[in-house]
Amino acid sequence: MSKGVLATEKRGMRELGAEKAVGWDVVTQGTLLYPFESELKDVAHIRPEERPYSDFNSYTATVASWRVVKPVYNRDVCIDCQNCWVWCPDTSIISRDKQMLGIDYDHCKGCGVCAEVCPTNPKSLIMFAEAEEIEDALAKWPEKKKKAK
Amino acid sequence: MAEKVELNEIEVWDGNYAVSQALRQAQIDVVAAYPITPSTPIVENYGSYVANGLVDGEFVMVESEHAAMSACVGAAAAGGRVATATSSQGFMLMIEVLYQASGMRVPLVLTVVNRAVASPLNVQGDHGDMYAGRDSGWVQIDAFNAQEAYDLTLCAFKIGEDMRVRLPVMVHQDGFLTSHTAQNVRPLQDEEAYKFVGDYKPYEEMLDFTKAVTYGAQTEENWHFEHKAKQHKALFDSAKVIDEVFAEFKKLTGREYKRVESYMMEDAEVAIVALGSSVETVRYAAEQLREEGIKAGVVAPRCFRPFPFDEIKEALANVKSVAVLDRSAPMGAMGALFNEVSSALYTLENRPFVTNYIYGLGGRDFSIEQAKTILKEQKANADADDITTNIQQFIGVRGPKLGFFETKRS
Amino acid sequence: MAITSIKNLKEFSTVNERFEGAHLLCPGCAHSMIVRELMNATDDNLVIATNTGCLEVSTAVYPYTSWDTSWIHIGFENAASAISGAEAMYKARKRKGTLKDPDAPVKFVAFGGDGSTYDIGFQWLSGAIERGHDFTYICLDNENYANTGGQRSSSTPIGAHTSTAQAGRVSYGKKQKKKDMIAIMAAHGAPYVAQLAPNKWKIMAKGFQKALETEGPCFINTVSACTTEWKFNPKDTIHLTDLATDTLMFPVYEIINGTELNILYRPKNVLPVEEYLAAQGRYKHLFKPENKHVIEKIQKEIDAKWEYLQRREEARV
Repeated sequence: MSKGVLATEKRGMRELGAEKAVGWDVVTQGTLLYPFESELKDVAHIRPEERPYSDFNSYTATVASWRVVKPVYNRDVCIDCQNCWVWCPDTSIISRDKQMLGIDYDHCKGCGVCAEVCPTNPKSLIMFAEAEEIEDALAKWPEKKKKAK
Repeated sequence: MAEKVELNEIEVWDGNYAVSQALRQAQIDVVAAYPITPSTPIVENYGSYVANGLVDGEFVMVESEHAAMSACVGAAAAGGRVATATSSQGFMLMIEVLYQASGMRVPLVLTVVNRAVASPLNVQGDHGDMYAGRDSGWVQIDAFNAQEAYDLTLCAFKIGEDMRVRLPVMVHQDGFLTSHTAQNVRPLQDEEAYKFVGDYKPYEEMLDFTKAVTYGAQTEENWHFEHKAKQHKALFDSAKVIDEVFAEFKKLTGREYKRVESYMMEDAEVAIVALGSSVETVRYAAEQLREEGIKAGVVAPRCFRPFPFDEIKEALANVKSVAVLDRSAPMGAMGALFNEVSSALYTLENRPFVTNYIYGLGGRDFSIEQAKTILKEQKANADADDITTNIQQFIGVRGPKLGFFETKRS
Repeated sequence: MAITSIKNLKEFSTVNERFEGAHLLCPGCAHSMIVRELMNATDDNLVIATNTGCLEVSTAVYPYTSWDTSWIHIGFENAASAISGAEAMYKARKRKGTLKDPDAPVKFVAFGGDGSTYDIGFQWLSGAIERGHDFTYICLDNENYANTGGQRSSSTPIGAHTSTAQAGRVSYGKKQKKKDMIAIMAAHGAPYVAQLAPNKWKIMAKGFQKALETEGPCFINTVSACTTEWKFNPKDTIHLTDLATDTLMFPVYEIINGTELNILYRPKNVLPVEEYLAAQGRYKHLFKPENKHVIEKIQKEIDAKWEYLQRREEARV
């Protein structure tokens, strides 16, 4: 995976609820929240890895602890169809330049939708136990299933 | 660009017309409103300015007061000047959103023409709606006549939009008694008025696309308290800005406003504390009693929120007996103004007797004679060095005398 | 307006997301699939208002926001009014020349769940549509008050179990039919009204783009399968939505200017509604012998509705 595209590589990454609790005099006025630290024009034209995310942006937080199973991605069988990208509810499929790069494990909750909608044979995304090492998971990858006649 | 209007030095306006002229002169960006008696003419007049090219802003006629205030909050968050008007049931329907507006710290002006709250249904003026807004986090300013309604509406924009405040502001006037009574009003010319109010300064606006902002986040037990504490302090701190704006207004017009208006209080032995159009009635009564040798005075909170505790305490420090008048059904408690005034006076070393009069509900007339009776009862308290009446009395209600609590000091 | 290329998924996937992860929606929730797709369908600036509900309580919990755009939440019922106000402010400031960047393209969008759209915010939405503000309202229809634990709404279909319309010894769940919000919105004369589903991503993205491009108030009801309250495995959200569209429980169609009805998706094999119902815990009780009549009733209504839609489409009125 190319460097810089994971949330972990951004500063401020922390468990939800583990943020610094500040006093009444320094909470934001009107409970306003600012997703970016500095001015940013045309957000839709700026890649996430180039954005000045602020500590208020949930991008800099993690929900990894929600997960009991995780999707493991096998580049070798992937056809970059982007089904997993379009249906991921947690913005956790990292795609750049029409290519699937991998999974953002900081934001993935392990719902399994990506593996379910993956059309390849064998699947390019398979759910494994959270504790499973990626390398071990890849080593166990199933063979192509024969079509039932 | 909106056409300017040439105004006479003295216009004959009722309170509603005065407010709508102030709204026109403030060059509001969005007015979102829903009509309700007796504030309807404010919206109608403004509508005629829209139809005749006298204002440039958007005029959004929504389907309820709740939607009116909701649209105002959305508009204010989008970074421009916003105002609306309402009364009574409309105010009650807005209440949910009043809290949301102040919690988000968006400045906007709500001109409230005070009216009783049903049931029973009633269109006349009392302070039931104004009181219902007292915990909503808004600055609440009270006008006692049409001139003040005009002046204070202009001031309201300047107060709420000040970067040190950024809170919504209500300007109250009494339904019909002020809103529909034509009086002499000395307006400012358009340019002067706008110059006083000033250009709107956007702050964290949703239409600045270089700085995305989230309005209306949720806070639970881990953050809510801190935000509410900050908001409360901001409301108390607005007093300083209110004073500054009043001072600037005096410089421009010669008309002086204070957060607490004291009348003949320098040597007063007894006093009335009141709000709204009745203030003028009790001032007249006090003048008459002075001729009879009773040193009477009148104290009127101009600012209902933030409540001017120190100024009330100071104004009443040397009187012997005070009557606090509440024009709202207190429903199982003392009147709200009585409670506020009493708490302000409690720490005085020689605190006066304080009694509570409920009057004028649903627009019932309040006469100079009744005001004099109240002041005379205060004089009797002062002379007896004790409270000679019930602590709370109803004045002007038909039937046997109605009073509550006989607690005496001795 | 600048629309994103949705020619195929590869092209579509090159957009830069503006809805961030680590929000608090349930794993497998369809809400965020729909919200992401809406935001990805355009690269214009967005001003978004959201009613109280699952989406709102999961994406703006202090001190975190998942929104990279302007966003406001006021209350449960008033996102349509909030967006009306913001849109009016935009018009006023554009006219007066007080916008920081008057040429920056912007679209106004409001989100609400079915509770806030069909029930508590119905009047606010109706008012905003009638006034003709230029905005798109998207209902994330999961057919219940999911945020508060699954109570009935007027969008809950007949026969479904909810915590306030329970199935029990003498009850088969909700007794009343689902409100036809699409017809109601079309009757307002809104220029674009549609019902879309996230499993048909391309139809949905096209519909979103059409709504965003259309001047005036547009309403889109989106099928948002709820793993928690419909009771199915989170991984099956898309599969379940396939069943919803292929049994015609949720027909996918649009109505232009209140009259021109177009069916946007015609299943090759229309499945019996049992397949959709059997896949969800909320309909489990309908398979008891005494409740079979409810399934028959649901199927009959689906058939009648499909017939109606096809005839409307044909008639062009």
